[in-house]
Amino acid sequence: MTTMLGFPMNLQASLVSSAGAFLAISILCPSRALPQTFDSDAHTVRVSVLPISVVSLSSGTINLDMSLGLIVPGQDQMTVDDQSTTLTWGTNSSSSKITASTSLAAPLFDLRIVAVNPTQGTAGPEFSLTPAAQDLLLSLGRSSGSCLLRYTGVALASQGSGTDLHVITFTVQAQ
Amino acid sequence: MRTSLLIIAVLLGWSLPTSAQLRIQGGNVTISITTGLPGPIPPSATVSTTGLRWRQETVDTKITISTICPGQKFTLRAVATGITGGGTPAPEVTLQEGMPATDFIVDIPPRRPNNGRCTVRYTAVATFEQGNSLELGDDFHTITYTLVAQ
Repeated sequence: MTTMLGFPMNLQASLVSSAGAFLAISILCPSRALPQTFDSDAHTVRVSVLPISVVSLSSGTINLDMSLGLIVPGQDQMTVDDQSTTLTWGTNSSSSKITASTSLAAPLFDLRIVAVNPTQGTAGPEFSLTPAAQDLLLSLGRSSGSCLLRYTGVALASQGSGTDLHVITFTVQAQ
Repeated sequence: MRTSLLIIAVLLGWSLPTSAQLRIQGGNVTISITTGLPGPIPPSATVSTTGLRWRQETVDTKITISTICPGQKFTLRAVATGITGGGTPAPEVTLQEGMPATDFIVDIPPRRPNNGRCTVRYTAVATFEQGNSLELGDDFHTITYTLVAQ
């Protein structure tokens, strides 16, 4: 049995059914693009960040030993270096620097320090540690980073023997 | 054709407004970042004083989250915890100014008139490079939760 279109009757029924399905889908599309909203609510979340500056050291104790092997005949000055300590810092203030100072007001020997290879900022020149804070790192900006610390102990053979015990303090402060 | 019209009528019926509800519990929130450690982990703070309560519908639903925060400076994330009444928490969402509504809880089953609840955990993160509020000001997020058909 055929229709005016020339399709068998069962095929025509199938086409009508397909047309109906297509109509339903075309109406559904807008609601699928914009899912039905049932309800909404809102509130305020405030995020506040205080100025934070922190610093840490990779090791707690450094020993600089002036042994007999460092003495050069005919030369009074002896030196010994240590570069095993890493200083790590973080500061979220725009203008920061790190200073260093020692607890020892009257040392027997000279102890110098300088920052090596800082990942941020600029290393200050090498200086002898004193109780007054001196600039170790400058122009840190808002940053986190690290550097090595090179300590140099300097003694004169003519000064004789002895031991200095330094407690060295590093401070992040406004530049 | 009758079948098609019936389908359309049923579909239109689903689109009618219902008395659905979604409510934030706990009011507004302030998160303060006060401490940090040197190293790769940035300073952060977490607050879990906010809750959501919603009415389950006759269809599968989900809850989305979005924010308005002009001049945003710091990072804020949110995640749903302790869901009751069904539903799956989406991975923690990073809230950014201008973001589209993002899935927060999905696959909430149709169990009307039961209610669902969850706790919202906000985590604020500010790298040292992102600065501080004293110099840059606080971030104010207007965060919207929306219950929609899934």
